[in-house]
Amino acid sequence: MAIGSRALQAAAVGVPSRFARVREWWEQEHVFGYGLILPAFVLIACLVAYPFGMAIYFSLSDYWVGSPGSFVGFGNFLEIVRNEVFRQAVWNSFVFTAIALTCKAVLGVWLALLLARNLRGKRLLRGAVLLPWVIPTALSTLGWGWMFDSLYSVVNWTGIRLGLMTAPGPNWLGMSTYAMAAVITVNVWRGLPFFAITVLAGLVSIPREYYEAAEVDGASSFARFWHVTLPLLKPVLAVVILFSTIFTFNDFNIVYVLTRGGPVNTTHLFATLAYQVGLQGGNLGQGAAISLFMLPMLGMVVFFQLRYIRRE
Amino acid sequence: MTARVSRRRFLQASAGAVAGLSVSVLDRAPALAQKRELSFLSWNHFVPAADDELRRQAEVFSKQAGVTVRVDTIAHLQLPAKRAAEAQSQSGHDMLLTADADPFLFENQLADMGDLVDDLGKKWGGWYPFAAESCQTKSGWKAVPWFWISFPATYNMAHFKKAGLEYPKSWAELLQHGKALKKQGNPVGIAISHCGDSVTTYWSIAWCHGAKVLEADGKTPAINSDKTAAVIEYYKELYRDAMDPEVLAWDDASNNRGILSGKYSWIHNPISPYNAALKEKMPIADDINHHPSPAGPAGTHSAPPINMISVWKFSKNIPLATEFLKFLFQKENYDAWIVAGNAFNHPPLRHLADHPIWARNPKFAMLPKEAEFAHPRGWPAKPNDAVGRIEVNYVLPDMVAKAVNGMPTKRAMEWGQDQVAQAVKGQLKTSG
Amino acid sequence: MITGVRSRGTRLRSTVFGYANLVPFVFFALFPFYFMLITSFKSNAELYSLKSVPLWIQSGVITDHYRYLFARTEFLTWIGNSLIISVAATGISLVISLLAGYSLARLRFPGVGSFGTAVFITYLVPPTLLFLPLSQVVVWLGIADTIWALIVTYPTFLVPFSTWLLMGYFRTIPREIEECALVDGASRMQTLLRIALPMAIPGIVCVVLFGFTLTWNEFIYALTFISQSTNKTAIVGVTADLIRGDIYYWGSLMAGAVLASVPVVACYVFFLDYYVSGLTAGAVKG
Repeated sequence: MAIGSRALQAAAVGVPSRFARVREWWEQEHVFGYGLILPAFVLIACLVAYPFGMAIYFSLSDYWVGSPGSFVGFGNFLEIVRNEVFRQAVWNSFVFTAIALTCKAVLGVWLALLLARNLRGKRLLRGAVLLPWVIPTALSTLGWGWMFDSLYSVVNWTGIRLGLMTAPGPNWLGMSTYAMAAVITVNVWRGLPFFAITVLAGLVSIPREYYEAAEVDGASSFARFWHVTLPLLKPVLAVVILFSTIFTFNDFNIVYVLTRGGPVNTTHLFATLAYQVGLQGGNLGQGAAISLFMLPMLGMVVFFQLRYIRRE
Repeated sequence: MTARVSRRRFLQASAGAVAGLSVSVLDRAPALAQKRELSFLSWNHFVPAADDELRRQAEVFSKQAGVTVRVDTIAHLQLPAKRAAEAQSQSGHDMLLTADADPFLFENQLADMGDLVDDLGKKWGGWYPFAAESCQTKSGWKAVPWFWISFPATYNMAHFKKAGLEYPKSWAELLQHGKALKKQGNPVGIAISHCGDSVTTYWSIAWCHGAKVLEADGKTPAINSDKTAAVIEYYKELYRDAMDPEVLAWDDASNNRGILSGKYSWIHNPISPYNAALKEKMPIADDINHHPSPAGPAGTHSAPPINMISVWKFSKNIPLATEFLKFLFQKENYDAWIVAGNAFNHPPLRHLADHPIWARNPKFAMLPKEAEFAHPRGWPAKPNDAVGRIEVNYVLPDMVAKAVNGMPTKRAMEWGQDQVAQAVKGQLKTSG
Repeated sequence: MITGVRSRGTRLRSTVFGYANLVPFVFFALFPFYFMLITSFKSNAELYSLKSVPLWIQSGVITDHYRYLFARTEFLTWIGNSLIISVAATGISLVISLLAGYSLARLRFPGVGSFGTAVFITYLVPPTLLFLPLSQVVVWLGIADTIWALIVTYPTFLVPFSTWLLMGYFRTIPREIEECALVDGASRMQTLLRIALPMAIPGIVCVVLFGFTLTWNEFIYALTFISQSTNKTAIVGVTADLIRGDIYYWGSLMAGAVLASVPVVACYVFFLDYYVSGLTAGAVKG
């Protein structure tokens, strides 16, 4: 691959050998560009295109776990919209995503700013803060389930001892608002490190000169943050928020383990309801329709966010 | 026997030769070089010793038949995803554990087990009707009933003694006793949440009060009725006076934990908490006992979970699977299975059911009788995929939960009726 | 990093401010882990007693749960499988996204923008739906029930985000440096390897950490594509064997959670050093 300049000179000056011609062809911007994308393209074409297409086909057909069905157009979508449980899940998903995302973004930037400081024990602190992201979700959610358990909740136990709650304490997973608060808490707990560390990486790549210039100009730390840090963080923040939106909307594990969509469907999200209807109930067509209901809207969000990022 | 074995060996060898000659994408090694493998996907049994016994029996069969039998076990809540994936990709295990409405959902993909079922039925005095109905679809027997799990009431004798009460023989008595026990600090517990137990208990209470969910034709919703209203009122009173609000948050393991913690006096659950207490050598095991599921104005009824074994149509080992199933149902094997499960596994065949393990232990003696008043889910309708949908979407506990949380009974019933209608509407169209 | 000439007083206040504000975050992050840790060492009797204090261990530390985990389940095999899968899948994703990220960030050719967006669309279908047709593909490729099924399918959800992340880093490299190199006679590949790559190290570290974590914790593909107990990953194995119907082996589950976190934590600790030095180098270079 790497050829010394002598060979290059020889190729440029002397007889164009076949090897040199191939080299020249490869060095062209568009050939090289396509070549580099090729592995990713092959991966996507082979392993994503078919499943993606099938998933969309599921939602547009009368597909059941045991038997493929015929095309029904938007029939599944119309049917699920008529169901009150689905409408509840839509509401839940929006509430869940909006609150969780806001918490994660605000706290994430704040945490990243704190971690960027030159404190002793930096490595330990960063490692500690990363732990929720690192512990396997399926198992940490079980741990949280134990922490919120109706009989043994350590949260209630502590709350009662500290006088913040009256015995027996909130029925975390049994009352709708509390249950939503519980699943949001677990989602924020798990997702915060992702935000913080990615924003931290962005923070660190901001050249020091900008800050020094601002300081010389007499800007306060808040002004420095608002006028220097935040604008330069926008690209990183935009990407992270975009990914986090998609992941949070499609979150499955937390609700599935803690409440299975209850109490009375007040914590069902798209993914959990789709699992219940499609895989457990067998109606894959409807399950796929539920999963993909947000696809057009999320697609728009993705499109516009990407345009915004590309313009920067 | 010898002639059969050598004929089987001959068939295997020739099958192997044919397979080796054919070009198949899925064959990874020439079949001649490997022993035939029979794979079975099952759940992780509540009692680990039962899984060990199953694997031991698989070993014995392997040696006998000259094949390899592989038993894979996963958590029972993970089975639906696995089954769907195997159905979708038309590849996977040969035999699998099925339950509830699976024979109906996968009707087109499962092999007909009619001959084997008839044989076993004739040999062992017939199948219990509720077991048979769960496996018989319009196009034949798509599963072999394997074992059922009794669903009695588990109660703490010490708490009842302290309150000076006997165990409740009817749901009405449960309400009465429950009120006193709750005042004592030992409430009763019935789940009203998104878990399997809450659905099972609902069927029991509903049937005992004469309420239905579907009419016998399997298509007409039958929730809207005075009887259902009575059931919902019962739940409301029970929740208010005899239970704690935490039952709205329960999962399948919560009632176990509840009674083992010493707080609860009565739950509606199989014998798993008792077995767990015995295993952990907890002193509370001495206080725990069981009694038959309570009765109601319309008699005693219950809906015990039943597990079945099906074979995929795409399996290349259907005759071999049938042989293995016959092996599992031989008396000494099935008896060993019962013992290993510590009385948890109940045979769906009449004559296998008089194993002394139940009669010997006074705490288990009442369990086998449940087969006499057991019904498949959806009764009086025959089980079908609509019933499966109603269960899986927790329509019944949700209806009760809404009422318990303040919605007027009539409105909750109408909601339930509507949900059932929607479940029936999306009915799977099967051939035949 | 914000430094400069400041008085000792300001610096002290700043330090205290920093630590004080970090305490709630660290507590929030660590408490559940602490709780899982002590649960894994508590005896069942204490765990299920309503009178015990949940915040610490009163009746003595026991190792039964860990012993159960190792003796009665194939935990070590599962951890080994997870390690192989995570390393392989992350490695493959890294290479693919490095190449693709550089290409999309730096090079101009028709279709750049749309490919970039298309790659993103793959995230919009959740894995809880995608796994079904994907299981078909896995069978067609003949890798069903092997760890290769996961090594091959995990890059599908790692590559998009990694590509975008690396695109961001590659874009921050001034074009002039690369153009200088090209004029000096370096090939494009050399430019990529010798100039662009070193400047994207923080991004690469992020991608590796991200990839390792996601593949380690992944559940649904690992559940459906693999059945044999010896091929299971750590998470699937632990949740399958230790949750039996309505019996949860809480102590061993938490022990499994603690131990299953160790390799990932180790990975982070190792890379965090690199990360820090990479970051510091970046700051010095300005």
